[in-house]
Amino acid sequence: MSDEYILQMKHIRKTFARLVANDDINLDVRKGTVHALIGENGAGKSTLMRILTHIYKPDSGEIWLNGQKTNFKTPLEAARAGIGMVHQEFMLYNNLTVYDNIILGFEEKHGGIFIDKKACRAKIEGICEKYQFNIPLDEKIKELPVAMLQQVEIVKALYRGAEILILDEPTSVLTPSGIRGLFKAIRFLVDSGKTIIFISHKLGEVFEIADTITVLKDGKVVATVRPDEIDERGLASLMVGREVILQAEKKDHPFGPPVLKVENLSVRDKEGILRVKNVSFEVRAGEIVGVAGVAGSGQQQLVEALFGLRAPEPGSQILFEGNPINRATPAQRRCMGIGYVPQDRLGAGVNGNASIWENSIMGYHIAHGFSSKWLLNHREIEAFTDRIVDQFMVKRQKNSDKVRTLSGGNIQKLVVGREFLQENKLLIIEDPTRGIDVGAIEFIWSKIIELAASGVGILIVSHELNEVLQLSDRVLVIYNGEISDGGRYREYTEEQIGLLMLGGKLSDVQGDVQNQNQ
Amino acid sequence: MSKVMSKIKINDTVRINLFKYGFSLIVTLLLGAVLIIAQGENPATAAAVIFDGAFGSLTKFGNTLRWMAPNLMLGIAAAVAFKAGVSNLGIEGQVAWGGFVAAVLGYSVQLPPLLHVLLCVVAAGISGLLYVLLPAIMRLFFNINEFITTLMLNFIAAILTEYLVDLILSGTVQYSTATSTPNVLDSAIIPIIIPGTSVSASLLIALAVALLLFFVYKYTIVGYELKQVGENLRFAKTGGVKVVKSFLMIFLISGFIAGACGGIEVLGTYRKFNTGFAANMGWDGILVARIAESNPIAVIFVAFVWGALQAGSLQMERVTELNRFTVLCIKMIFVLMVSINYEWLFNTIRYAWIKRRNRKEAMAGGLGNS
Repeated sequence: MSDEYILQMKHIRKTFARLVANDDINLDVRKGTVHALIGENGAGKSTLMRILTHIYKPDSGEIWLNGQKTNFKTPLEAARAGIGMVHQEFMLYNNLTVYDNIILGFEEKHGGIFIDKKACRAKIEGICEKYQFNIPLDEKIKELPVAMLQQVEIVKALYRGAEILILDEPTSVLTPSGIRGLFKAIRFLVDSGKTIIFISHKLGEVFEIADTITVLKDGKVVATVRPDEIDERGLASLMVGREVILQAEKKDHPFGPPVLKVENLSVRDKEGILRVKNVSFEVRAGEIVGVAGVAGSGQQQLVEALFGLRAPEPGSQILFEGNPINRATPAQRRCMGIGYVPQDRLGAGVNGNASIWENSIMGYHIAHGFSSKWLLNHREIEAFTDRIVDQFMVKRQKNSDKVRTLSGGNIQKLVVGREFLQENKLLIIEDPTRGIDVGAIEFIWSKIIELAASGVGILIVSHELNEVLQLSDRVLVIYNGEISDGGRYREYTEEQIGLLMLGGKLSDVQGDVQNQNQ
Repeated sequence: MSKVMSKIKINDTVRINLFKYGFSLIVTLLLGAVLIIAQGENPATAAAVIFDGAFGSLTKFGNTLRWMAPNLMLGIAAAVAFKAGVSNLGIEGQVAWGGFVAAVLGYSVQLPPLLHVLLCVVAAGISGLLYVLLPAIMRLFFNINEFITTLMLNFIAAILTEYLVDLILSGTVQYSTATSTPNVLDSAIIPIIIPGTSVSASLLIALAVALLLFFVYKYTIVGYELKQVGENLRFAKTGGVKVVKSFLMIFLISGFIAGACGGIEVLGTYRKFNTGFAANMGWDGILVARIAESNPIAVIFVAFVWGALQAGSLQMERVTELNRFTVLCIKMIFVLMVSINYEWLFNTIRYAWIKRRNRKEAMAGGLGNS
């Protein structure tokens, strides 16, 4: 059974103007397996999947399903034939219930007019039972956590009769426990005969879940291997064509006095719910402090309060170089030397419709300004933009290009470069490497370490536990708005921190501390 | 990959824009022709008359420019707001207040010529500014959408100015028509710049405002911040831009320009405040800004064309059996056509076409196999 190819893509070629996005790609997927598709941003993964789901038509090449050449014309036909996709950004209607979202467009009907709600519900419940999904059908989407939404998407695809399920970077939005849940579900689906195409940036996960790995690079397949034939380093070098060490190289250096000191900080969100509870910590000059935590543990409100985007509760104290800054505006904080890399790159990090130079000077124009107080000095703007572009290797054609034309990794380099090159004393960085490729991650990591070595205090708030552990001199764990000490660099293992992130107590962890005091 | 794709997209945008205006023009002309034929006139004659009315002589061309001035200035007032994501639909009301204040100061205060005009126009601007302050505060501090408030305040402005003219001013004037203020003093009149026409220096003021705004957006830090606030509020906020201040500024600038426009209209053309003189002037400005997609330079051109149509339509009414509302109707058809989302339409059509082609290919393939 497992030798049978459920899907074969043969000699797929797709070009956009002069760019060859897919060049003679062959992909053979066996039934009942997890087939991972990996590659850097822009390697052609998305294009290939869009061809598979018939959003794009290839210039040439064939798609064979169950040994038969297909001839679908629309995405709908592809979906009906059993090709389902769970997109990275969920395609759900927030104000509808889970149930409505699942049946939308594929309703069972009485006499072709009225929705047969019972039949629909029975079908969904059948699927949930068979594949062990536990989702509240009558809750509205907006009430549910992200991990649940992903399950809804998967159930939706199954409801539509998916035999081949494409998961596009499914773990990028999940917590470690969410990932475990997802992997369990994937294994279960595969055991019941479904086929999974798993797109990812994260090599560890790919090794854990995949039966076969296809590596794409520059629109071509560079290798199709089984996980036992290769190791992470080998795979990484196939992806980027060189050795990538996904291990940050940190050197010891002495720390200075505290730049940021937080005392008894409490913050409410806009609904008035207390999200950060009486938190105290400090970041010293030259020190990288990482905040690990499951998404939604209060990180967002913490960072907003630190950068002046949200007022802290009375009694809270935020000190920058010893001076209270509770009431300082973001502009004032920038002038003092606080930089901020927001998590939501496209929403808050850049203005996609504006040019690269317009994005480069945001914040800089306040903290540093130009030789004239009122006028934009284009020579100075170009100079600063070029510095970012050069030092952070932003691939672009000219500084007047719109930012949305850049890839995710390049946009992130631009944002990071903008904040890093402003001679800040404190940097607050949220998810510095979310959704970007290995090469860019490595680059940004090295820049963060370099910056800390030059004496800048850095607070990293990341949902990527490995990132926090690799970079931080000191780890803080945030759980339900409270911060607990996660030890110094490599004091605790990933599992121990993971336990803290899920609300375990330090005493539970300390039993088997392997103190690797440096 | 994304780089090249975006390139295609930019080319597409240019193409779609060309198509948008071209196609809209053609459809509007066709529908306009139908409209004219239905009234028993020859469209070609009507078009000729409109053209003659707009450009036929110096005086007629003057009329075009005379109408261009308020279109331009109010187009800019609207564009400033729209660009920053503020829906100032209250331009009409701000114009009314500006006109009223300028008229009152124009006849009741005695000052040397230039100074008098300056005082009246600035006061008119400030009255527009104050009138937009209310919706601005409601928006910024109570989160009440200015879409509704500015719209409603138009009616209040129209009725309140009429009330003031009637009640307070009617007893004291030598003119018995209670619906207008006395004429402004000669020192407050904005002079005609092309003799023999009705083109006053108002046009120059309007052009100066448009160029000033263009300059502000292109070369100043304030303009840069306003643009970013309009395009991505959170980005600006994170960058440290004082967003509330920016919004307030946008409201106030828009209101000031609208109010000042009311003032220059009164001082340059009517020389007194007629109740309801602002009727539709504000809406024309909003439409001009819409068509020009809030681009200050484009506003200049659109305002000119709009002015030509206004002048032409008056001529048409005089010469032919046609009603000037025909032209109004044609203008609105054009605005409607321009408002269509052609990009979306294109993609839908393209998709349907690909579908059909695929079906044909499939059929041909099927035949080949059999």
